[in-house]
Amino acid sequence: MRTTLGGAALALVLTAGAAPAFAQSGEITVWSWNVAASALEATVEGFNAEHPDVKVTVQDLGNDQVFDRTLAGCAAGGGGLPDVLSIENHEAEIFWAQFPDCFTNLKELGYTEEIASGFPEFKRVELEVGDAAYAMPWDSGPVVMFYRRDFYEKAGVKPEDIKTWDDFTEAGKKIAEANPGVVMTRADFNGDAEWFRMIANEQGCGYFSNDASSITINQPACVAALDAVKKMYDAGIITAADWNEKIQANTAGTAASQMYGGWYEGTIRNNSPDLAGKWGIYRMPSVTADGPRAANLGGSSLAIPTVSKNKKAAWAFVNYTLGTNEGQVTMLREFGLVPSLLSALDDPYMQEPQPYWGGQKVWVDILETLDEIEPSRGTPFFGDADGIMIAVQTRYLTGEFASAQEALDDAANQIALVTGLPIAE
Amino acid sequence: MRMRTRAAYGFLTPYLLIFAAFWVWPIVYSFYLSFLATRIQPWRFNPGMTWGRLVVDPAFANALKNTLIILVIQVPVMIALATLLAVLLNSQLLRARGIMRFAFFAPVVVGEAAYAAVFRLMFNADFGVVNKLITGIGLPRVDWFASPTAAMALIIMAVTWRWVGYNAIIILSGLQAIPNDVYEAATLDRVSKPRQFFFITLPLLKPIILFCVVLSVIGTMQLFAEPFLITNRGGPGGATETLGLFLYRQGFTVLNFGYASAVAYTIAALAIFISLVNLWIGRSPK
Repeated sequence: MRTTLGGAALALVLTAGAAPAFAQSGEITVWSWNVAASALEATVEGFNAEHPDVKVTVQDLGNDQVFDRTLAGCAAGGGGLPDVLSIENHEAEIFWAQFPDCFTNLKELGYTEEIASGFPEFKRVELEVGDAAYAMPWDSGPVVMFYRRDFYEKAGVKPEDIKTWDDFTEAGKKIAEANPGVVMTRADFNGDAEWFRMIANEQGCGYFSNDASSITINQPACVAALDAVKKMYDAGIITAADWNEKIQANTAGTAASQMYGGWYEGTIRNNSPDLAGKWGIYRMPSVTADGPRAANLGGSSLAIPTVSKNKKAAWAFVNYTLGTNEGQVTMLREFGLVPSLLSALDDPYMQEPQPYWGGQKVWVDILETLDEIEPSRGTPFFGDADGIMIAVQTRYLTGEFASAQEALDDAANQIALVTGLPIAE
Repeated sequence: MRMRTRAAYGFLTPYLLIFAAFWVWPIVYSFYLSFLATRIQPWRFNPGMTWGRLVVDPAFANALKNTLIILVIQVPVMIALATLLAVLLNSQLLRARGIMRFAFFAPVVVGEAAYAAVFRLMFNADFGVVNKLITGIGLPRVDWFASPTAAMALIIMAVTWRWVGYNAIIILSGLQAIPNDVYEAATLDRVSKPRQFFFITLPLLKPIILFCVVLSVIGTMQLFAEPFLITNRGGPGGATETLGLFLYRQGFTVLNFGYASAVAYTIAALAIFISLVNLWIGRSPK
């Protein structure tokens, strides 16, 4: 009975495209992290309006844990995995390369080309292998600078005057002087290379070439990026802080700016509600005054493991949450996740001034950078390259290399050793 | 006799089956895996990508170096502290001895995740109590998680805090096994207390201390939880990445099971080698 019903639902979904056809039933479990988990939870109500009999449980395991436990689960043949998994785009390809059988080809569940074409190409490329689509794009992370209006004003710094990283450094010194105990910004130098990746992506460079065939980490644009990070570090305007320490600094009022993907909007808004009106955003600075000022950091997707006992219900949830404007805009409104579903970008909500952000139309400012973002491919070797880069970054910041070029040449050689890929000329 | 052996093996069978499936087989299989290139399906035979890489990999060398630093600094400091603590706990002058002994043993009972979380809070650079104390007495603040040296010192302190009481209790049991008449005779011969400690207590304790050293060496070779949880996966930038963490990263972050197996065998071999050296140094003169 269940199979025939399922088959009928599948046939109907296939013919009717995205139409939420059959009411599903049962229980599904979803793994996610931080605000992303909260955002998924926020869409459950809308989903239940269409599928009242599906009980959705969202578990917030934290970002690293979802990745590690998914790998361990797949290595164990799918044991212990939930019905829906959150996977960060740049980390996604290692899963398809190592465990293609661990994930359901969503096309078999009703993810038609028509639905898929509603997402930008740069989001799809890491999630699809040949004819199979192992995950559906969720959000993207256009990078902007989040800043404290009051701290900037007190130092007489106007964000629109900050065009280069040198401007940013000068502004940072003034702000620290005018606001005792406040540091310009924080970066996770201890466990991440996020600042390097953001500025490198802005400058059009990444760990690997976009066809994933060679190592590009020691190209001039990446060298310029690492150089910029080092200058700011030496000037003392960036100090180290991990994810939680940044949030502590935000709420304690000891950080004047934070640079992250647009999804950080929700983190600031939800963790520091009493700072409403004090935060604003502006575009990330560049290496040169007329250089590019857009980058992407993060952005995720949802996948369904093959072991899921209720794939139909899982797909119905994924397709509602990610494939409808209603689902995507709910996540944006509540938790600041930037939709990668193109049609959601035309939603009138995007044009509204945001009270928390002092009336600034932050979504207009964030989304207008989307077209300028250079794609940057994670490849199955992202974890290797990132681990090496984090170590090299620490050694460079503590003065072990004479120049950024030397540091990145060393990183490139190490990545070549580990991956067997050639270093690009 | 034969019947009795058979019956014994009959009772042992369930355990032996589990032992074979979950201990022997993985050990054999991972040896096989250590010769395969496992980056991309299908896996194929290529020891150059595992054993060959091990020899030249700077990240492995870094993890080995970090582990040896901890080994050389932390183990002697901890054993010395543990011996001192054991002598103090054994003192006749001490009141509430049971409570004192438990208090020093207690850190072992605390879960790793719980104590790591508390250490992270205490050593937080901006708001932690340790930096408040340090700056309170006029010293410069320390970026515990951002400076490679400070992070290493923090790991050593944390591990020492956790295990010193445990070793002290083991050494204490050794102290109590030393017969009192030895000390009485020495006292009659007017041997001072410090000399009694160095010429009677320590030599008689040698087998116990050696036992503690071997245990600690093996523990350090497998050190994982502290650098994983306290310094955020061996941060900053691999400065506290131990062999155990490196192994985990190869196995479960980048999924390179072949290389991870080669690393695992190397760690085991190193632990055996270092333990043998310890035993050889501590051998009783014939």
